This record gives sequence, structure tokens and C-alpha cells, in this order.
Amino acid sequence: MTDPYRPSITRREAALRLSAAAVAAAAVGGGALVFHNRRSVVAAAAPIPDWRVPLPASAPKAAAARGSDPGTNVRRAVAALGGMESFVHQGEVVLIKPNIGWDRLPEQAANTDPQVVAELVRLCLAAGAKKVIVTDISCNDPRRCFARSGIAAAAAAAGAEVLEAQRLRMVPAALPGLSAGLEVVEEIVRADRVINVPVVKHHSLSKATLGMKNWFGVMGRGRNRLHQDINRALAELGATFRPTLTVVDATRVLVANGPVGGSLADVRAVGAVAAGTDPVLCDAWGAAQLGLAPGSLPFVEDAERRGLGRADLALVKELGTS
Amino acid sequence: MNWTTRIRIVYQATFLVIFVWLLARLAAGDPRALPYSAFLHGDPLSAIGVTLAAGTLPGALIWALVLIALTLVLGRVFCGWICPLGTLQQLSSWLFSPRSRRESLQVNRYRRWYALKTYILAAVLVAALAGTLQSGLFDPLSLTARALASGLWPVLPGGRPVPGGWLAALLFLTILVASRWIPRVFCRGLCPLGALLGVFSRFAIFRIHRVSDACNSCKLCAFACQGADEPLGNHRVSECHVCLNCLPGCPENAMSYRALPPLPSPPPKPDLSRRYLFGTVLGAFAVAPLLRATGGGRDAARPRLIRPPGALGEPEFLQRCVKCSLCQQACPTGALQPAIAQAGVEGFWSPVLVPRRGWCEFACVRCGEVCPTQAISRLTAVRKTGYDGRPPVSIGTAFIDRGRCLPWAMSTPCIVCEEMCPTDPKAIWFEVADEPVREGTARRVQRPRVDAAKCVGCGICENKCPVGEEAAIRVASVGETRDPLNRLLAGENPS
Repeated sequence: MTDPYRPSITRREAALRLSAAAVAAAAVGGGALVFHNRRSVVAAAAPIPDWRVPLPASAPKAAAARGSDPGTNVRRAVAALGGMESFVHQGEVVLIKPNIGWDRLPEQAANTDPQVVAELVRLCLAAGAKKVIVTDISCNDPRRCFARSGIAAAAAAAGAEVLEAQRLRMVPAALPGLSAGLEVVEEIVRADRVINVPVVKHHSLSKATLGMKNWFGVMGRGRNRLHQDINRALAELGATFRPTLTVVDATRVLVANGPVGGSLADVRAVGAVAAGTDPVLCDAWGAAQLGLAPGSLPFVEDAERRGLGRADLALVKELGTS
Repeated sequence: MNWTTRIRIVYQATFLVIFVWLLARLAAGDPRALPYSAFLHGDPLSAIGVTLAAGTLPGALIWALVLIALTLVLGRVFCGWICPLGTLQQLSSWLFSPRSRRESLQVNRYRRWYALKTYILAAVLVAALAGTLQSGLFDPLSLTARALASGLWPVLPGGRPVPGGWLAALLFLTILVASRWIPRVFCRGLCPLGALLGVFSRFAIFRIHRVSDACNSCKLCAFACQGADEPLGNHRVSECHVCLNCLPGCPENAMSYRALPPLPSPPPKPDLSRRYLFGTVLGAFAVAPLLRATGGGRDAARPRLIRPPGALGEPEFLQRCVKCSLCQQACPTGALQPAIAQAGVEGFWSPVLVPRRGWCEFACVRCGEVCPTQAISRLTAVRKTGYDGRPPVSIGTAFIDRGRCLPWAMSTPCIVCEEMCPTDPKAIWFEVADEPVREGTARRVQRPRVDAAKCVGCGICENKCPVGEEAAIRVASVGETRDPLNRLLAGENPS
């Protein structure tokens, strides 16, 4: 007889309930083990790939072409480096990064010239690229920047996939030496080849905004903190992002009130484009189009010291006027 | 389903889709000049309200005459066939309210409190005459656009948060949910636009007609009656939404919708008590001074009451703004937000620019292009930017907070505000200075300074300032073109 004041339990019942408890504990524990992340609670940062193509030491480092047609200048400069086929191979995904930062018209020279971008898209596709993406994270409203710069229409007509900021996915990135909490465009991490296409402009802090400064446009929020030590930040960006090609657009050059500009009085028609595999040399050439000696730009000197390239303008193959 | 019902549903669905599609295109920044404000241009409540308040009928609101004419011929077809809020309520009551015939008859009976909408109409029109335009708060088109722009769009993928948007969404959802118990409760009891159209529909040529000899008083006509206008008894023409549900409902074919001779004069009036109406009118006259006594932006300019570019002076602006949220929906950077407290009680839900959420894009004039009442006047990009040689349109002035600014307070280089500044020449310039650092020698920095004569108050400096939460450069409304008294510098000439 069981005593209602002293409840007891049979062996059989105890065994059943203990095993049920064990199964439940195992299920919860196993589930916890499955979901447990030993590494960190922060998502792993994507490493930035190296997009360079191995080239013989004798290959020209940069070439510059002058003339009234920006497209022709691009073709001649790239041809002098061995043609786009040397850089872009069958089936590759190419990301072209122009400056589409501002709600300005091409004549105001705040963004890369649309014809330069379109010509690069055509060259990449002709070289066999599977897909050419054109993107930038604008400073002004991206829709207006992409439309009024003329780049969205020109690049799309040339066959590129144009990605405005609203359609971009950002991923945390390993950017050693730069401000914490930065993100980069996911598409650039996935691309096989990357072509950096800055426009030559005046800048009130770094004196000139060129190729290394153009990497600001693949980063998300927080990038405005990099200005606090801009010359070092630019050299770090140069060390982090190693593009396949740098194409410097000096079709029109903004000599004052950069990087936004606005007044046509600040724009000089230079009519030149340089292409190169040495980003430091390309920035040095761009600075020269603004009338600045490469030695006067601390970030160019810093990048050269780090062995990212040479700032010797004699290395640029000048192709003359077409 | 009967063919009249089918046709009506096609119309309702089409207008609802167009209404939402236009808002979607507006938010997507469609560069085409689509008729974004078409619905509001055709809104007689806004037209009459603005005319009474501002003493002028702004441009495209003349289209409201088309709807008045339509109502004089066909009755309140707007309510039954066009209005998106009416359609959504009808949908909600159909979805959530499977009820017996007895219940249906019960909920579709006329109630005395449905006259409330006419008091609301009287109140907003009298208040407008007394100088404050509040019709937009109750207008079904404004109300729906507001709820979608501030309540739905922020929730969509890529949507931008709108503080206070939940208020608009909650009101909207309450109306829809309440339709489960009383179909079209807003139309029947609260809508001042419906009440206004009811004034005209009493004179409509086409009306519902009942052949009393054929009628056996089975009440099936009232089974799905949307307006609770009692087609069976003494038909309340001014309540009828012309949904035509009574026609197929009648098993004796006693109901028809046809051209009829004028109603016996005088036409039946809405159920108004003279005393209540008198009280309403008297109260409404007090609304304007009461609202003003709460101190909006009318009596004294407020620093954070930054209005869209081209906005009229505060009194004229408030006499025209119908709080429809179209400018907010059009703003490419998300800078325009509904005012919860910045503009006082009178300016509740009028648009203000919040620089930390977005900035006024220098060459963008979209808000003025879509404003249905020209509370924000239409500008060309050339006029706004000052490329025509006259001073650019300014909405305020930027001020540097030297206690937070990196070069000023932390001896740290930063030029982001100057870099972003879109004016020509830039309104932000630098003073080069050697700032002390705690250890070591002084550091050379460029300290930003604002040239107030050049600043247009666009707020991109405040938006992009790398100092978190509160920026180290902030825009205030002083210097705005629209207010000749809200000035900063002597000799400065508003454009």
C-alpha cells in the first residue's frame, strides 16, 4: 500500500523518467553544441583578394594617351600594356570601380567620364569576361549620381551590370591598419578582376583625389573617419586593395573646390587617360595632371616606401596625342 | 457574382493599384514626370480647404471640379468606386466578417452618429476660414498616403525609418480593423470628404430608384449596402456610395440606378442638430487661435524647423499643407520627415528636414514638383542652386559645434563637411592652425568655418559628419530664404 502522505515511486517509473530526462538533456546539449560558435560572436571578416595578374618584369607599368575622344584614349593606353586580354580572361567576373560619388553632370568633372567607363566595359567583354559589374557607393543620393553622371546609361549600354548602392550587400572586411567597423561591397570580394577608374580632382586634405582615394567608394559607413589620418589611410588602402588595372581619367580635371566642384570655372580640359598596373605610378601621373609633383603628396611617398609601386614618371609610356 | 459588382471591383482594384503604384514609383525615384499628385489634385476637400485658408486655389487643384461635376451627375461614385481607403475598408469587412443575414442587416442600418462626419467637415472648413488648415488630418487620401509612406514603406526591404510613423500606421490599421464590426466605419461616420461629396450627391442626376409597387420589403437590398443609406425606406441619397450592391440584391428587380428627376425640394438634409452645428462652428473658430497659442513656428522661427526648399513662409505654408506625405515619399535621401513636435500642434505631420536622416540634395527639386497644393513651390534646379546668377535657395545655415568638432576640439584632422559642401564656392572654408596635443609638438589642422552668406543649409555636412550621434556641425533654420525675418547677417539678400 502506498501511503498518501509519503508519496513514493517505483523503480520502473524512476528508470523511465531518468532516461527521459537524459534524452532531453542530450537533445538540448547536442543542439547547443551544433549552434555553439567557438570562434567569436562577430561574423568573420572577408579577406580582400589580390586581383593582380602576374606579369613579366619587363612589362610596361603604365601608359598614357592624349586626344579628344576618351574612348580612344582608353583603348590606346590599354593596348600599350598588352591589351585587355592580358588582364581579363575567359569567364571572369570583372568589377569596374569608377568615381560615381556626386550628383554632378560629366562637364562638372566630379565623376569619372562615362565614355571612359563604357569603353572599359566593352574591352572587358571583348576579352571574354563573363560579367562586368560597375558600382560605387556614392556620397550624394546614389540614384541621382548614377543617372546624372551619365555612367549608368553608358555602362549599361556597353553591356555592364550597373549596381546602385541600394542593391549592394555590405560585408565586414579585414582592413588592417584602418578604422574599426568598416564594411566593403560584397561584389568586390567575389570579383575575379577589379579595375579602379578614378578621376583626377583637387581635394582639400590629401591635395588630390586619385586611385587610392577612390577605394573609399567600396566602403560603407565609417569611412568618413579615415580622414583623420588621411595620408596613412590612403597608403593602407593602396596596400589592401591590389587592382588588376588602374585607369586614371584626366579627360577633365577639377582643379579647385574638389571633390564636389560644381563650377565650370574649376574644370580644365586635359583630354588624357592613363592605364597602369602600378597604382602608385598611376597616382603620381594623375597628380602631375593637376600640376602637383608626386613628391609633394605624402600618401604617394608613403605608398612608395611600402613597396606598393614606383612614383617615377619616367616609367609612364607617353603615347602622345591621337 | 453580378456584373455590376464585378465592374465595380475592377474599378476599385485599378484605382487602388494606381494609388499604391504612384507612391512606389515616387519612392523609387522614377525620373519620369508621372502624375504623382493626381489623386490629391482631384480632392475637393483639399481644394476648398486650401481656398478658404489661403484665399487662393493653387493651380492643379482645379481638377477637384471634375470630381464635383462627376458627383453632381453620378452621386458619390468616388467613395464606392475610387477611394483607396474605402476599397481597403470594404476588403477588410468582407475578409473578416462572415456574418449572418440578420447581422448584416443590423450593421448596415443607418446610425445617428454617422452625422459626425458632417460636423467634422464643418469644423475643418470653418477652421480653414479662420486660418488653420487641418482637413488633411481627416482626408482619406492624405490619411492613406501618410499611412503608406510613414507606416508601410519603412517596413519594406531597404525602407528608411520614420519616427512617429507608427502613429499613422496605427490609425490606419484601426480603421481597417474596425470595419470588421462596422463596414466602412470611416466613410460612414468620420470622412469629411464623403460628407462634402454628400452635399453634392443630393443633386445627382443618376440615383438609386425603388419601384415601391414591386417591393415586398424583404430588406435584401440592405444586405450588402456600403453606405448604410437604407435603400429600402426613405433612401438617404447623400449617404449612398453608389456601390450598386442593392441592385442584384433585389429578388423582385425593384431596384435600379438611373437618371431621375430632381428630389422634391427641399432635398432631405443630413441629420444635423442645429445646436450641435452652431457649437461646432463656434468651436472651430476657436481652433485657429488655440493652435497658435501652443506656439508653432508661426510666431517665432524655430531652429530645427527646417522646411523643404521652396516652402512658403510658415503661415502661408500651414495654410496649404494637407499633410499628404508626398514630399516625404519623394525625398531621395529620406531627409523629409513628419513633424511630431517641431512645428507645434498646428503643424503636426507637416514635413521637416532632419539632417541626420538625410540631406537636401543640392540640385533636387522633387518635393516641390509633387506638392499638390504648392505649399512647397516648384523650383527649377537652376533656380534652386543659384546657377541663374541669383542667390541660391537656402533652407538654413550650418553652425559648427567647436566643442565636438575634431579639428577644433581634438586637434585631429578632418575635412568631411568641407568635402561634402555642394555650393560654389564652398560655404565651408578652412583656417589653418597649430593645435596643441597632449604629448609632443603642436599639430597642424584645418579648422572649418562657415561662410553664412554662401551656406544654403542643405545639411549634407551634418549628415556626413563622422562624429557619431550628434554631429559637430548642425543646421538651423536661420537664413532660410522663405522667411525675411529669420535672418542672420545684415545686408544679406534673400533670393
